[in-house]
Amino acid sequence: MNYKPDEKDWMAYLYGEAEGEEKVKIDQYLLENAEARKEFEKFQSLRKIMSSVEDKEVIAPPIIIEGSRQRFLWNTPYLRMIVSIAASLLLIILVGSLTGTRISLNGNEFKLSFGEEQPAKSAPVVIEKQVPAELTAEQVQQMINESLTANNSAIESTWKKSQEKLTASIRENLAVNSAKVDEVLKTASLATQEQISNYVATLQAENMQQVKDYFQLTSAQQKTYIESLLVDFDKYLQQQRNNDLQLVQTRLHSIEENSNVFRQETEQILTSIISSVGPQNTTEKKN
Amino acid sequence: MHAETLLDIAMMHSDALILRAKQGDQNAQGKLVQLWYKRIYNFSFKFFQDHDMAMEVSQKTFISMCKNLAGLQDTLRFKSWLYKIAVNYCREEARKTKNNRSLSFDSVWNNEAEDSPRWELSAQRRDNPEKQLEQLELSDILQQALLELNEEQREVVIMKEYEGLKFREIAEVLNISENTVKSRMYYGLDGLRKILEKKNINKDTVGYEL
Repeated sequence: MNYKPDEKDWMAYLYGEAEGEEKVKIDQYLLENAEARKEFEKFQSLRKIMSSVEDKEVIAPPIIIEGSRQRFLWNTPYLRMIVSIAASLLLIILVGSLTGTRISLNGNEFKLSFGEEQPAKSAPVVIEKQVPAELTAEQVQQMINESLTANNSAIESTWKKSQEKLTASIRENLAVNSAKVDEVLKTASLATQEQISNYVATLQAENMQQVKDYFQLTSAQQKTYIESLLVDFDKYLQQQRNNDLQLVQTRLHSIEENSNVFRQETEQILTSIISSVGPQNTTEKKN
Repeated sequence: MHAETLLDIAMMHSDALILRAKQGDQNAQGKLVQLWYKRIYNFSFKFFQDHDMAMEVSQKTFISMCKNLAGLQDTLRFKSWLYKIAVNYCREEARKTKNNRSLSFDSVWNNEAEDSPRWELSAQRRDNPEKQLEQLELSDILQQALLELNEEQREVVIMKEYEGLKFREIAEVLNISENTVKSRMYYGLDGLRKILEKKNINKDTVGYEL
C-alpha cells in the first residue's frame, strides 16, 4: 500500500473533518505505521496543551451607530459649509453697514474708518526738515572713516590705560608677595635642628601623657561600670532565685495538698469498701 | 448547564435574529453584538495579546457589522462574514502598529496589580492554587508562542483551534482555498510545537493526563 497522507489530510483527520474513504485510509495508515502514529499523537498532545488557554471574559460596550443612513441635501457636509460661509459673510456685511465701516485704499494709504467721513478741518502742516543737499559717496565714506578713526583712537587710549593699570597692579602684588615669602623663608631658616627636635620631643611627651590619661580614665570608668553591672546581675540572679524558690514552694505545696486530698479520698474509698465488705463477711461467717 | 454552552446554542440558532437585524431592527443588532462580542474580542486578543487593540478591533467590527448587515446575502454565512470583517481590521491594526512601533500603555502599566482580573477569574475556577498558577503560566507561554507565528498562520490557528471554525469557513473568511488553510494550519501547529519544545513544554512537563 503506497498511500501516505499529506499535511492537508493530517489536519482534516486531526480536527475530525476527514470523512468516508479518506478517514478509513488514514486509520489504516496509522495502524500500520508506528512512526506516523507517534507523530499524530504529538499533534494531539499539542492540541490538549493548547486547550489550556481560556477565553477572557469581556462585556460588550454599547455600540453607537449613526441613526439614519438616508441623508437629505441639507444634511450634507458641503452644503453646510457653504451655508455657514454665506451666513458669516452676511453677518460681516450687516455689522459693517451698522457701524458705517469704510475701507479705502489710495495709493500707499489704507484707510479704515467708521461713520460719516468728516471733511478735513485744516490742511496738515507738514514741516519738512531742511535736508542738506545730497551727500556724495565720497563724503559718506569720509564721514565713516573719520568716525572710525575717532573710535579707534578712543578704544586705543582706554586700552592703553587699562594695560598700564594692570601692569602696575601686577608689579605691586609681586613686590608684596615676594617680600612676604622672603620673611617666611627667613624665619624658617632661623629655626635650628635643636629647636625642631625639642619641639618634637615635647609633642611626643604630650601625646604620651594624653594617651596615659585616657587609658587611666577609661579603665577606671570600665571598672565602675563592670562593678555596677555585676551588682545588677547579682541582684537579678537573686531575684530569679527567689522567684524560682517561690514557684517550687507553691508547687510543693500544691502537691502536698493534692496528696492530702488523694489520701483522704483513698481513705474514704477504703472505708466505704471495708464498710460494704465487712458486714457481708460477717454474715457469710455466720452462715 | 454551563453558561458558555448556552451562549453557543444561542449563537447557533441566531438565524431569525440575523434576519431581523438585517432588516434594521436595532434591538436585534444589539443582541447580535452581545452574542458575538466575546468571540470576536477573544479572537483579536489572541491575535494581538493586547486588550486595547482587541477592544478597538471588536468595536470597529461590530460597527461595520451593523452598517453593512443589510448587504449580507446569505444569513448562513454570517459567522464567516463577521470573522472576515474582524480579520481585516486585525490586519489593518497590525499594519498600523508595524509603522508606528511604540510601547503600549498596557505593557508599561502593571494592570494586574491594579485590578487583578486574573486572580478573580481563577478564584472561581479551581481550588488548587498550585494548579491555577501552572495553568496561568502555561496560558501565558502559549499566547506568547502564538505571537511568534507569522500573521497568516496565527489567524488560521486561532480561528481553527480557539474559534472552532471549519476549514471551509476559514477558507471563506480568508478568501483562499481550503487546502491552503489546512497547509497553513499544519505549519502553524508545527511551528508552535517547535517553539514549545524550545521552551521545554510537553505533555510530561505540563503534567496533564494526556
